[in-house]
Amino acid sequence: MATIEFNQIQKSYGGVQAIRDFNLTVDDGDFCVFVGPSGCGKSTALKMLAGLEPTSGGEIAIGGRDVTDLGPGKRDIAMVFQNYALYPHMSVRSNIGFGLKMHGLPKAEIDRKVAEVADILELSDYLDRKPRALSGGQRQRVALGRAIVREPSAFLMDEPLSNLDAKLRVQTRAEIVKLQKRLGVTTIYVTHDQVEALTMATKIVVMRKGVIQQIGSPETLFDTPANLFVAGFIGSPGMNFFRGPVEKEGDVAFTRFAGARIKLAVPAGQLPFDNAIFGIRPEHIRIGGEGAEIGLTLVESLGTEKILHFQTPEGQEFNDADTAADHDDERDASSMLARVIDDVRYADGQAIRVHLPEDKIHVFNPDTHTALRAASGQVNT
Amino acid sequence: MIDFSSPRHRSKFGYLLLAPAVLLMALIIIYPILLSVDISMKDVRIARIGKAEPWTLKNYAWLFGSEEFWNAIWVTAKMVLMVGGTALVIGLATAILVNQRFKGRSLARLFVALPWAVPEVVATVIWAWMLDSSFGVINWALLKSGIISEGIQFASNATASFYSVCFVMIWKGYPLVSIMLLAGLQSIPQEQYQAAEVDGAGVWQRFFYITIPNLMPVIGVTMVITTLWVFRDFAIIHVLTQGGPIGATTTLSILTFEQSFSFFRMGQGAAVGVVTMIICAVISRALVSRFANSVH
Ligand SMILES: Nc1ncnc2c1ncn2[C@@H]1O[C@H](COP(=O)(O)OP(=O)(O)OP(=O)(O)O)[C@@H](O)[C@H]1O
Ligand SMILES: [Mg+2]
Repeated sequence: MATIEFNQIQKSYGGVQAIRDFNLTVDDGDFCVFVGPSGCGKSTALKMLAGLEPTSGGEIAIGGRDVTDLGPGKRDIAMVFQNYALYPHMSVRSNIGFGLKMHGLPKAEIDRKVAEVADILELSDYLDRKPRALSGGQRQRVALGRAIVREPSAFLMDEPLSNLDAKLRVQTRAEIVKLQKRLGVTTIYVTHDQVEALTMATKIVVMRKGVIQQIGSPETLFDTPANLFVAGFIGSPGMNFFRGPVEKEGDVAFTRFAGARIKLAVPAGQLPFDNAIFGIRPEHIRIGGEGAEIGLTLVESLGTEKILHFQTPEGQEFNDADTAADHDDERDASSMLARVIDDVRYADGQAIRVHLPEDKIHVFNPDTHTALRAASGQVNT
Repeated sequence: MIDFSSPRHRSKFGYLLLAPAVLLMALIIIYPILLSVDISMKDVRIARIGKAEPWTLKNYAWLFGSEEFWNAIWVTAKMVLMVGGTALVIGLATAILVNQRFKGRSLARLFVALPWAVPEVVATVIWAWMLDSSFGVINWALLKSGIISEGIQFASNATASFYSVCFVMIWKGYPLVSIMLLAGLQSIPQEQYQAAEVDGAGVWQRFFYITIPNLMPVIGVTMVITTLWVFRDFAIIHVLTQGGPIGATTTLSILTFEQSFSFFRMGQGAAVGVVTMIICAVISRALVSRFANSVH
């Protein structure tokens, strides 16, 4: 059990800077997930924590002990690799017990601990098999077993579920969370899947191009993303974005969506722009009422839940690499989605009115793409 | 007329296409083997095809009763162990060396592989010259540096000639071992080493628990190839020592040659050859299945 601290960690490969100014504190018992698109440096950060890659600058501490210059074996951590990295020539029993053997434990004790772990992970029947005679899910559990048998102060996992099929992935996800809660061991988990991050983490670190974008709980990231990238990356389907003018009346600011005037929660004083970028999550768009009129281009029905596609109003399209998140985003830049759960039947081509609730609209600086927010404590009517 | 495109007959068409190749192979490979088995069971002095001789086990009786044969077995076994073992150690060491990342690595790899590229006879002639008792550079260097006080008689001393044959064989044979093991080393996933490192394994533990077991199949195949190579190698021994002195370097293949072409006892030579073939087949079968089983 231990805290983990990254202090100003840098990493360059030759001239390429893979990680920049990485600062992070993970509390004891936290389930911390590093998430971000491919190549953003998640694995690199994890490998530096494991001691498999040297740092180019900064310090790493585990349990208050500076481990920056220690080898992986001396850091008291266990790691689960994406392809499991099981030893193919050893039985499951030897695979799980290998770390204990390397640490010089007596054979009887190794056997006892391996049996215990195999029991937890339901591997008792496979202990004498070689890894090649196991299914993907069983191999994954052996890899987990190899980590937990050591009772380390931290677990590091690099996309441990990415080789499993969708159903098994969801199931194993829950099992890992349960196991972690039960053992209470600080865990760092790497994934590029934001759904995994949201469902598993107590703390999420969103990364992009080697730079931390935001650190926070799943709720914080979902409700108050720090910038356009985080806003677009977290959530499924992703947030809708549009450009809009900023109109001010005294202290209050408004924008327009398809002609309809919308009041903003952010005070006029914080919006020294003529226009800005706005975002709203598909599940927050309300249908009906006084809202702007739009025409539906596509209706996807999943029973009671429906995904309504419509064109972003003319001239309000926002298209930027920042929001081109690589997750399951099935729409192009010029269309928006609304997710509704009601009993109304919608048809393609139908004209409906949509309302954007002011407290659900995210406002972003058009130049820096950081989120603008009504300072807490300030009253917004 | 059979329709070869129908699923039922498709495989027949395949066999039909294969038939000429199979027949040719049979002719080229099987026929000489059968012929040598045939000769080994006849009292033939100079092979003459067509002249029917009665079949007899005389040659094999001679074989198992003769001191020369058992000496050749003993020499061959010693040589296989000596050359195979040393070539494996040197090959593994050089493979691990040139698998590291360092400046000039590709040059080092070329250097390691060089003896393999030199034609066997050329290499052996050069070594024969260097190992010459009176004019050789080796004796000269050893004498000059004061390691020995009297020139080693590589040609007439039994131990010296055995080891000089072994030395040249190792020199010629280790590059292949090294190249094969290097390929084997490169196919070991890096994650296995990383996992072992996280598990707390040191350099030697990683070598014994990760590298060696992963290399086992390659080591097996390499050992088979080296063993068979020592069994059948002829040029090195023939050029260096002609099997002498007094049989100290007479392996089974030298004995085959001696019987057949020095003493013109084709039948006895063929018998040695057939026994050699059987031994080789048994050894390679045993080694291949043993090592292959260790991982896959
Ligand atoms: N050994 C290396 N040499 C040079 N560049 C490297 C090396 N390893 C990683 N990089 C670079 O560092 C960056 C981060 O790589 P990393 O493996 O950490 O990405 P990742 O976030 O884990 O991506 P993924 O989700 O695809 O696994 C990438 O741009 C990659 O090209
Ligand atoms: Mg990665």
